[in-house]
Amino acid sequence: MRDEAEFLVEGQPTAPDPEWEFGWLARGHGDATLRRDGERVPVLVEGGPAEWVVTIRGRRIAVTVRGHRERLLAESSQLAAPRHGPAEVRATLPGLVVKVAVRPGDLVAEGDALVTVEAMKMENEIRAPRAGQVVSVEAAPGQTIVSGALLVRLADPEP
Amino acid sequence: MTPPFRRVLVANRGEIAIRIIRACRELGIEAVAVYSDVDRDAPHVRAADRAEHIGPAAAAAYLSIDALLDAARRSDAEAVHPGYGFLSESATFARAVTAAGLVFVGPPPETMQALGDKLAARRTAVDAGVPVTPGLMVAVDTARLVELDDLGYPLLVKAAAGGGGRGVRRVDRPADMPEALDSARREATAAFGDGTLYVERLILGARHVEVQLLGDRHGGLAVLGERDCSVQRRHQKLVEEAPAPGLSHETRERIAADARRIAEAVPFHSAATVEFLLDREQHHWFLEMNTRLQVEHGVTELVTGVDLVAWQLRVAAGERLPGEVLEPRWRGHAIQVRLYAEDPWQGFRPTTGRIGAWRMPDGPGVRVDAGVEADLDLPTEYDPLLAKLMVHAPDRPAAVARLRRALDETRIGGVSTTLGFHRWLVDQPAFIAGKYDTGLVPDLWADGPGLSDREGQMAATAVAGARATGVPPRPSAAPSTGAAMTRSERPWARLSRDEAVEP
Repeated sequence: MRDEAEFLVEGQPTAPDPEWEFGWLARGHGDATLRRDGERVPVLVEGGPAEWVVTIRGRRIAVTVRGHRERLLAESSQLAAPRHGPAEVRATLPGLVVKVAVRPGDLVAEGDALVTVEAMKMENEIRAPRAGQVVSVEAAPGQTIVSGALLVRLADPEP
Repeated sequence: MTPPFRRVLVANRGEIAIRIIRACRELGIEAVAVYSDVDRDAPHVRAADRAEHIGPAAAAAYLSIDALLDAARRSDAEAVHPGYGFLSESATFARAVTAAGLVFVGPPPETMQALGDKLAARRTAVDAGVPVTPGLMVAVDTARLVELDDLGYPLLVKAAAGGGGRGVRRVDRPADMPEALDSARREATAAFGDGTLYVERLILGARHVEVQLLGDRHGGLAVLGERDCSVQRRHQKLVEEAPAPGLSHETRERIAADARRIAEAVPFHSAATVEFLLDREQHHWFLEMNTRLQVEHGVTELVTGVDLVAWQLRVAAGERLPGEVLEPRWRGHAIQVRLYAEDPWQGFRPTTGRIGAWRMPDGPGVRVDAGVEADLDLPTEYDPLLAKLMVHAPDRPAAVARLRRALDETRIGGVSTTLGFHRWLVDQPAFIAGKYDTGLVPDLWADGPGLSDREGQMAATAVAGARATGVPPRPSAAPSTGAAMTRSERPWARLSRDEAVEP
């Protein structure tokens, strides 16, 4: 059966190379090999069915599969971060909020620091995923937050 | 040999606790581990002969002097080894241990105090006739900002109580100084409970070279050569090697002599490290002295054959260092890479999650000190160091080749680690030639190489192959490249509706 799926490697549509032959070594651990003309490259394959991670030479590469199922999903949601409209900035790590750099009404550019979170004994800056205007700030210095906690709401700037 | 102690409390966690427990067992000492709630079944607890609970709080537990002393009393330990980090450089802890009638495995508290404060250490070095980096000899406050301009930017803000790169900020222009001071002070206060800062000139293109010291309680002092620790991100080390590549015989001797001078300027025994900066002309400046075991002590052990942890325990019990430790025979070259739970392609941001596959290399000349294992949830409250991979070979080219081989044998699933960075590093001409400095990560790595077409195709092929053979039975281990975290769950509801009407 031919695999009709589309493969997005780090977001880029990428066709599998039929020259490589895939084989599991220890499936329970995701251990596998790619072979081509006597060349063997060890890979680690994890995840599925839609979101996968392939590790090659220590580099973790995100692969998204869009088959019929996955295409439906993509169409019904906006998988790529929208450039307009409201957006929620969430914590990517649990930790302690040590600084909030913005206030409601502030205009921010993509990449601007919004909130500083101390985790793993390091300060980590949570940055704006895109330009916009701060609608609300949901975090305060001294607050302990969990991963995924809402920090800042952004919207398109008021005209 | 009579064991130096009957029972020792290991006041730490992770790989360094396991390292110390191993030394204890080899010496016939019973090792007592300590644990917080999240560490109840951690690898270091299982490695020990006994274990004592020291409280619920994840990080605070290992910083609680009272809880640790209670644990030592309950377990009837005779000595306490602090490892590195946590309380290892706390003179207060060392005094409390001694006052409780136990032996502290580390330098004398007065030395920890005098040298643990990096400002005081600079003054000690100057008094001993050892050169220090140009900079302030007193704590900074905003009133002194004008003076900083005379030093010349770029400058480095540092925490006087610092260590592990915390509370360090590079400042390129005067306008950025107030913000850098605020931020460094916050980080230093959180990490060390002391926000005292000082400022020194940033030496560009410098290498970071440090000398290992080991002393007994009878005046015996071993200067166990240097390590190069120049591969750093955020002023934290990633790779260490011994000996430092490309040092002239004279430079090596001068640095060793200055390290000895500093140790002789204070009461000293146990293990410590004197850190220096080395510029392109091989001038060296004293940076700081760490009065504890270092993360990278293993590379010195490999090239000298001296078990530093075992000797820390033995000199703590009063033994004298023998000739083969005072004048070791140097053998070959050793390199260590640190495997951190960080994403090198995302500015070395810490990653969290559950480790999936975990396979460390072995074979000739390979040593792994690990604190984790397969299927372990990574606690977020601790330093993200997972393991240290060390190789030892007759010379540096052979050590680099061995490191490359060992990295290729390593498999880590579930979380992003520095493995991919190290695999890149061992193919870099500058690293292979041993000609690199602290600019390697910012200049050569920057944000990491982009994905090649070949790698992309291989990744797609691997997933296509995995799909064709069925989904591997580990579906939940993957999605922590950091990208796919905030997805709405609504599409799934929609899909289940769609699937319900599919033929």
